[in-house]
Amino acid sequence: MRPWMATALVASALIAGWLWLTLGGVVRDLFLPPPGELWDAFVDLLQEGYKSRPLWEHIVDSLIRVFVGFGAGAAVGTLLGLLMGYFPTVDALAAPFVEFLRPLPQLAYLVLLIIWLGIGETSKITLLFLAALPVSAVAARDGVRNVSQARIQVARSLGAGKWQIFRHVVFPSALAEIFTGARLAVGIVYGTLIASEIIAGTSGIGWMIVDAGRFLRSDYVFVGILIIGFMGIALDRLLLAVETRLVHWAGKQ
Amino acid sequence: MTEMLTTRRRLLQGAGLGAAALAAPAIVRAAPATVNCAFFVSTSPFMIAKGGGWIEEAAGTKVNWIEVASGAEINTGMAAGSMDFGFGIGSSPTASGISQGIGYEVVAMMDNIGPAEELTVRKAANIKTPADLKGKNVAVPFGSTSHFRLLGFLKINNLTQRDVNVLDLRGDAMLAAWTRGDIDAGYIWSPVKSKLLAAGGEVYKTYDKLEAAGYAIADLIIARAAYSAANPAAVSAILAAYGKSLDVYTKSPDDASVIVGKQAGVAAEVAKSDMAEYDFVPLKTQLGPDWLGTPGAPGKFAGVLKGTADFLVEQKSIRKAPDVAAFNKAINTSYLAKAVG
Repeated sequence: MRPWMATALVASALIAGWLWLTLGGVVRDLFLPPPGELWDAFVDLLQEGYKSRPLWEHIVDSLIRVFVGFGAGAAVGTLLGLLMGYFPTVDALAAPFVEFLRPLPQLAYLVLLIIWLGIGETSKITLLFLAALPVSAVAARDGVRNVSQARIQVARSLGAGKWQIFRHVVFPSALAEIFTGARLAVGIVYGTLIASEIIAGTSGIGWMIVDAGRFLRSDYVFVGILIIGFMGIALDRLLLAVETRLVHWAGKQ
Repeated sequence: MTEMLTTRRRLLQGAGLGAAALAAPAIVRAAPATVNCAFFVSTSPFMIAKGGGWIEEAAGTKVNWIEVASGAEINTGMAAGSMDFGFGIGSSPTASGISQGIGYEVVAMMDNIGPAEELTVRKAANIKTPADLKGKNVAVPFGSTSHFRLLGFLKINNLTQRDVNVLDLRGDAMLAAWTRGDIDAGYIWSPVKSKLLAAGGEVYKTYDKLEAAGYAIADLIIARAAYSAANPAAVSAILAAYGKSLDVYTKSPDDASVIVGKQAGVAAEVAKSDMAEYDFVPLKTQLGPDWLGTPGAPGKFAGVLKGTADFLVEQKSIRKAPDVAAFNKAINTSYLAKAVG
């Protein structure tokens, strides 16, 4: 069986099961809304929006938070990681903080961020920034450390300086791992999005899901999950496309 | 189709047997081993009954106490079948739960909320008229009775959620935002309300006009229908136990405040002043026409729930509201009548 056939098979089995459970009356729509209700909810959200804001505004607000939080976190994290990989002193200085921050659940310091930074966009984006930074830093550091010594020595024997080695050998070799880290970071930032939008929310797809959940509006919750899921896949594909363009040599040494 | 149905039934039977086999060692008697009770940590006479172990005594079984922070959590727990009682759930989440067909019934009231939930505004912000709220950040826990009141307040004053920035904040986060100066007003109950008042806030009275306009709110006691149908005597006994704690409060508010304060983790004076704001309706009065009524003669309260549900539909929080008969059906006063009589 070809891979796409397996995917199609499991997807149609899932949809068939969904139809059977909902239209057959096995479960109530409160627990699992039938496809028709989901479609109605989606159309309704498109036309009327959610809680006095159009649907696209919720999506755009979430995307801006993800892009700014992830962008800044990945940029600063990667820079820090490169320095950590290249200069053992920087690594010794920064590693304890990065290692501590990385496994820390974001919800643990959510209230602190509200107290420090208020309830506006700053605290939301900072939360996402802090989620992206350590992952990117660790990936970049490991990328630098894994560069083959042979290549560096060849470059050095050809008379390359420290900056030149970094610019032409270390950085390009580490790029593949940096991108892997970035894709990992996007996933984590995305997972943190809902937590960040709980803070004094009035907008965002994550907030919409939480708010609809409070009233057990399973139809809106499912539509929200589908939107957030497909947005996540799109973001990942976008990064993958950039990666294949920039690091086309990866895995071909 | 018939074939499919039988298959499904067989399948479900199989699943049921499996579950029963798994659960068998736990079931010793016919009565459920524990009763799952959701409650709020609050300054209410109910805390006397809870703290004194009266509910356990009345139920005749162990009680699994589940602390919740919102009525929405109770709705979710009831829908999942993992809660049997909800003590102190607000009328607004109750209206939403009944509209969505969650299988529970209102068995009694706790209190008429009245001025106990109210809008607090920052003195320095100089908010004197509804129009002064324009462009201001106003916080409220979404989905709560306070949220229902605040939206009602905006509506009767022709303000929209675009004019006023309504923010979704839970109690602790609201206090943090208030302390930082991020919000100028908050609609909430005590203890957070008293803390806002102590930190430069003043009361902006909305409840009298709202009650006149039909936006009444109350706290209720609900029971999962499957539980109450199977254990009617236990439900009546539990309500009687709550009635006893109410008597303690009525006879001696000072003594009651000491016990309630200890249970809720606040000073006795705070508990006393907080409780003074609520109208704890006596069980007998609840059976009157102004409140729940009796099984034969339903009271006005079904209409309040219906009005609340209609408003939630208008706000697009819930999809549809059933007619008032459905709310009358969801209010079952037979247990209360037995508990009183």
